[in-house]
Amino acid sequence: MKKYIFILLFSVVWLPSCMNEPTMQPNTNIGNFEALWQIIDRQYCYLDYKHINWDSIHTVYQNEVSNSMEKFDFFDLMGDMLDELKDGHVNLSSGFDRTRYWHWYMDYAPNFSSELIYNDRYLGENYRIAGGFRYAKIANDSIGYIYFGSFSNEFSDTNMWYIMSYLKDCKGLIIDVRDNGGGSLDNSEQLASYFFKEETVTGYIRHKIGSGHSDFSVPVEIKTSASKKIQWQKKVAVLCNRMSYSATNDFVNRMKQAPNAIIVGDKTGGGSGLPFSSELPNGWTIRFSASPMFNANMQQTEWGIDPDVIVDLKSTDQAKGIDTIIEQAIKILKE
Amino acid sequence: MKKIIFLSCIFILAINISAQNEDEKKYILSTNKSSIIFSTLNFTDPYLSPLPYSGLGVSYNSDINSLLSPERTNISMQSKLNMATGLLLNPASTASMIYFGMNYGRGIQYYFQPVNGLQLWAGGLWDIDFGYKEIERNVNNPINFDLSTNLNLTGLASYDIHLQKRSLKIQLAVQSPLIGCMFVPNGGASYYEIFELGNMTNTIHFSSLHNKRGINGTFSMNVPFRYSTWRFGIGFKSLKYTANDLVFKRNELSLLIGTTFDFAKFSGMKNKAPKNFISTNE
Repeated sequence: MKKYIFILLFSVVWLPSCMNEPTMQPNTNIGNFEALWQIIDRQYCYLDYKHINWDSIHTVYQNEVSNSMEKFDFFDLMGDMLDELKDGHVNLSSGFDRTRYWHWYMDYAPNFSSELIYNDRYLGENYRIAGGFRYAKIANDSIGYIYFGSFSNEFSDTNMWYIMSYLKDCKGLIIDVRDNGGGSLDNSEQLASYFFKEETVTGYIRHKIGSGHSDFSVPVEIKTSASKKIQWQKKVAVLCNRMSYSATNDFVNRMKQAPNAIIVGDKTGGGSGLPFSSELPNGWTIRFSASPMFNANMQQTEWGIDPDVIVDLKSTDQAKGIDTIIEQAIKILKE
Repeated sequence: MKKIIFLSCIFILAINISAQNEDEKKYILSTNKSSIIFSTLNFTDPYLSPLPYSGLGVSYNSDINSLLSPERTNISMQSKLNMATGLLLNPASTASMIYFGMNYGRGIQYYFQPVNGLQLWAGGLWDIDFGYKEIERNVNNPINFDLSTNLNLTGLASYDIHLQKRSLKIQLAVQSPLIGCMFVPNGGASYYEIFELGNMTNTIHFSSLHNKRGINGTFSMNVPFRYSTWRFGIGFKSLKYTANDLVFKRNELSLLIGTTFDFAKFSGMKNKAPKNFISTNE
């Protein structure tokens, strides 16, 4: 009996220490560098897909880190290391700065001008606003135009009901999500649902299940349901550019499968990895892509989604107050 | 006159016999130990952060014990409720974690007395544990839930110290999870995927001593005053569990203050209050 009591007490009191815990890095520059490197090594989801040799990056940057470095220099060095991931979803944030990678849109033509969409040819001055949507009838009231600048803006079915009631006599609808850097996936799904007739598989998602760079779960379907209350049954053109990123990339991906939708403009910026947060011993927070999302054909959309019709904003049109991409969309919708 | 005296004696005797019957019937009293607990908290939740968070918490605990029946005085039933809240900071104090927790359990204990004055209770308690942890600055992983159900081993040692004016009761209560199941998501799985897309794969785990171990103890002293009995004590809780290569830890050190009182519950047709109890519910 005493033996069993001893075994039980041993199990309860001493065995907790047998669970393998990751080692905590010290709060030094070297410790914070190691912690950051390990978080990306174990949790970042695109190392293999982007053919990044993270071990060699460790070697390169380890040689430059020392505990005597100034905070700002150390922060900038970590920013340089994270830039190797070429990912707009990766940010290191401290109390004094935030690193960012913006080449996903800065290296490309803007293909958007807010001055253009607010001239009298399009939204003008008397456009309506509902739930983050700015909308008006354009092209002699034959086309409905909605500009949506952020998927962080909440909206309701009621907002959309009023908008579609107002635009119901138009031949087609333009949803302009250029320069929309993303926001909530729920809002992306909700907006897309107004253009589907039935629930459709529009993508897949996976997540890391181990520390290996390709240790992923089985893909899970992402479905876009059809709104039971409101449906736009006519043609719809979705306008995008390189700054259509993250949740906007997700929206464009969903609309690729919508029955009457066509994607017009430039390739989207991508950003299909669902970002997670973690932190370093010094309290700096790191955001990174954790769960890769795929299109309906299980292809990556991290680098962007090609439009159905590629159109660039012409500087000659721009000088005349004309948005080449909107004009092309009007033409397609009127056909 | 003799007749009147005789009848009066019979009447008084009848009342006494009736009262004695009522007195002889045994009623079960429930012992309620209610406490307010102030704790230092130390949590590690690698789903939210690899860093340990530490801070302060306050909780309310209610522990009700009663014998199974007047005839079975060596078995007692136990029900416990704990509601807790806390605020914790990361080591650099640049982020905070909000914590809410609730635990409810019911158990049964066996009583024995190995030596005079020392009472021992040992048994099991089945509980449901819910915890909500939030680090607001996180994106897509700002929240993690502790959801688990466990069969716990429980034990209570109670010893009475008789002083000149009063008797103090010192108690040591311990509890340890033995077997159950728990919710632990994969480190990379978002709640969007789990709850909105319904992918619950690898989130519910069987738990036993191989992956969940801990001990929850309270050392307390009951001090009777004129019309109330107060309870003072210290508590400690250490819990460690792992699943999906994540190791979670929860450590607490507590000070508690509360009251202890006995009460009887009367309800229904067969469990009416004796007539010498008066109530607004009559």
